[in-house]
Amino acid sequence: MLGSSARADVEPVTEFLGRHGSSHTNNWAVLVCASRYWFNYRHMANALGMYRTVKRLGIPDSNIILMLADDVACNPRNKFPGCVYSSSAKTLDLYGDNIEVDYRGYEVTVENFLRVLTALGRVEPSVPRSKRLLTDDRSNVFIYMTGHGGNEFLKFQDSEEISAFDIADAVAQMWEKKRYNELFFMIDTCQANTMYSKFYSPNVLATGSSVIHENSYSHENDRDIGVAVIDAYTHYVLQFMEGINKTSQATMQDLFDTYDPDKINSHPGVRSDLFPRSLRDALVTDFFGGVAQAEVLTPPEGAQPSHFLFINNASAIEPDGSVLYRYGDTATDLDAIGGLDGHPFLAATADGQKSAIDGNIRAWASTAVVLSLVGWIASRE
Amino acid sequence: MDGNGDLAFPALVAARLLLAFSPLPDALKYDQQLSSPLTSYSRLREGIYLFQHGIDPYSGGSFRHSPLLLSLFSTVLPLTRYTSPILWTAVDSGAAWALVQIWRLRAGAKRTSRDGQIYALYLLNPYIVLPSLALSTSSMENLLCLLAVMFACRGRASAALLALACLVQLSLPAVLLVAPTTLLAITRPVSRLALARPFDVQGKQTIPLIAEFVGYSALLTFASTFVCGNWRWVEKTWGASLTLPDLTPNPGLWWYFFTEMFDHFRPFFLMVFCVHLLIYIAPVCIKFQHDFLYAVFLLVGVQALFKPYPTLSDPGLFFSMFSIFPEIYPYLRHPIVTALIHLHASLLLPLFNSLWLRQGTGNANFFYASTLVFGMGNGAALLDAIWAGLRVAIGELKEGYEVAQE
Repeated sequence: MLGSSARADVEPVTEFLGRHGSSHTNNWAVLVCASRYWFNYRHMANALGMYRTVKRLGIPDSNIILMLADDVACNPRNKFPGCVYSSSAKTLDLYGDNIEVDYRGYEVTVENFLRVLTALGRVEPSVPRSKRLLTDDRSNVFIYMTGHGGNEFLKFQDSEEISAFDIADAVAQMWEKKRYNELFFMIDTCQANTMYSKFYSPNVLATGSSVIHENSYSHENDRDIGVAVIDAYTHYVLQFMEGINKTSQATMQDLFDTYDPDKINSHPGVRSDLFPRSLRDALVTDFFGGVAQAEVLTPPEGAQPSHFLFINNASAIEPDGSVLYRYGDTATDLDAIGGLDGHPFLAATADGQKSAIDGNIRAWASTAVVLSLVGWIASRE
Repeated sequence: MDGNGDLAFPALVAARLLLAFSPLPDALKYDQQLSSPLTSYSRLREGIYLFQHGIDPYSGGSFRHSPLLLSLFSTVLPLTRYTSPILWTAVDSGAAWALVQIWRLRAGAKRTSRDGQIYALYLLNPYIVLPSLALSTSSMENLLCLLAVMFACRGRASAALLALACLVQLSLPAVLLVAPTTLLAITRPVSRLALARPFDVQGKQTIPLIAEFVGYSALLTFASTFVCGNWRWVEKTWGASLTLPDLTPNPGLWWYFFTEMFDHFRPFFLMVFCVHLLIYIAPVCIKFQHDFLYAVFLLVGVQALFKPYPTLSDPGLFFSMFSIFPEIYPYLRHPIVTALIHLHASLLLPLFNSLWLRQGTGNANFFYASTLVFGMGNGAALLDAIWAGLRVAIGELKEGYEVAQE
């Protein structure tokens, strides 16, 4: 990507990014639950379960766009108000008190979803930052969609639908606008695999819960809540993710290897032809987590260590420029080694001290002017 | 009774000094009725700190005091925990002394029986005491105003004009007082309210005085610019009174109006409000050309009512100056109503301020309503003073006669 114009300071960066497999620097997640109403409780639980997972693995709320109808937790039919459970054991409340839903209720529309992806709303200043997908060309984006779907379409909130062509075109626009480094698309609906069949932009990895002409089934009904609480595909994916933490080296191939059509009752699929790397090199945390790669470099040859000293007492500067420490002076030592240029900073602080003394002289001069004027007037009459 | 004044003044000053060192001022320091963005002590301290560390205090929006205060307090008079209360007590004592001198000149006596009362009416006036305890620099503005008027009463025009020039440096709306003070300096302060006569001094005499005032202002402006090193202070200090950038709530009538002002109309209404202050100068000076001290008094009242960033000390000065005009007391039409409106407003202002900003159970409209009541109280006092000042000339009525305006 940085290619032929590699300068001396760019090479270490490309080398570093290449060394760790994935060349991304930040992670984003777009989690969409495209249904509303009480009987689609499980879709809400799907999306919230995925939300909890990516948050646990390190993606912050500012990098997550969560689109939910959000009409389940406080629904009058909910026997457990303010709570959303994904299993009948009710061990984990997915709703809790610390979730940030960016698009709720009637804001979950096809138009908003496509605008989020392609940043068509970027020029409008009224859209808050929390509702924007502010990715760049080094972002890995994870898109998760769940709801009711069919052959190359997904139903949005009972009133409209999005087609596989629309999503493919949106992702192509993202690629043109350099809005992702690698994109992972996961979808849990009926006939889900048809939704990713139309992608044509590079660096896209996709997986779905069922093939064409096949339904995806829910996993578990709960007697108290009265509806199904989780879908089978998402349930088993989340179960796999429970064993993953931020330092995990599990790969995407490991995730796909756990797909068991007998348990899920449908045939999940994977599309990796557009993905440049091998699935055994792509870590799960490359998409689900917000893990940053860090490396401590040795300083380049010829760099001098710069010594910063910040003094709070202006009068501690001796005439020859050296510094006098006195008991009670608060001085902060900022030792910086490693190629940083300290001269601009020192120049700025030196200017500050000089102008403080300068200001003092000015103040005395102007006070003298005013007081002499007062004295002259007083003595005149 | 002559010794009354001798004892009253030291006693009051001592009492004020004790009060200044009590824990009460700590609760008042950030009160919005007692100090405005132009007079707040904490902003003054911050500006001095920045200045002493080489950062231009006018590059931000927090420091709006005059550069003269900046230079004064960073050189000659350092502001510490002990010097500040003493300094503010001295300022208030000086202002009370000046007020008593004005009274003595007006009464034409070296010492009167009312001196003690006048000291008390200034130093015990809560509208004056509380901002002074909160260390608001509006107390210094009051001192300079009273000194200017006192020198003008004595006939020392230069000293009066210098004090006025300093006052205008601190607070731009004080230009209202330039005309009547100048004219007062060339006439006598003795009460002529009952014996109205046309102004018989030549207008040409005022031109050198105006020129002197302009000269002093220019010199002080030069000193201010010299302290700062640039002209940014003009926009931040005088510009604040003209463009109202800071909409911190205060007991004035401007801030709420401009919080809900569309930007499109803002320049027009700023112009209207500023011109509104200026239109009172000529009529008041013409109508009271026989007694310019009274004209000064009325314009202090106008300033207190319509100033952009008032504090309680501005109407406080107006009410304390009532004490030097005892001849109008019988002719005030509704003093009790005014006093009750003021009692009402002075209880409501801190209550609604706290309800809005501290407890959160009220909103800005509550406080705005109490500033309207306060403004009504000030307006009622001003109107009453104008009426009484004119009514004195007519005197007592005989049976069967009544006063009517032609």
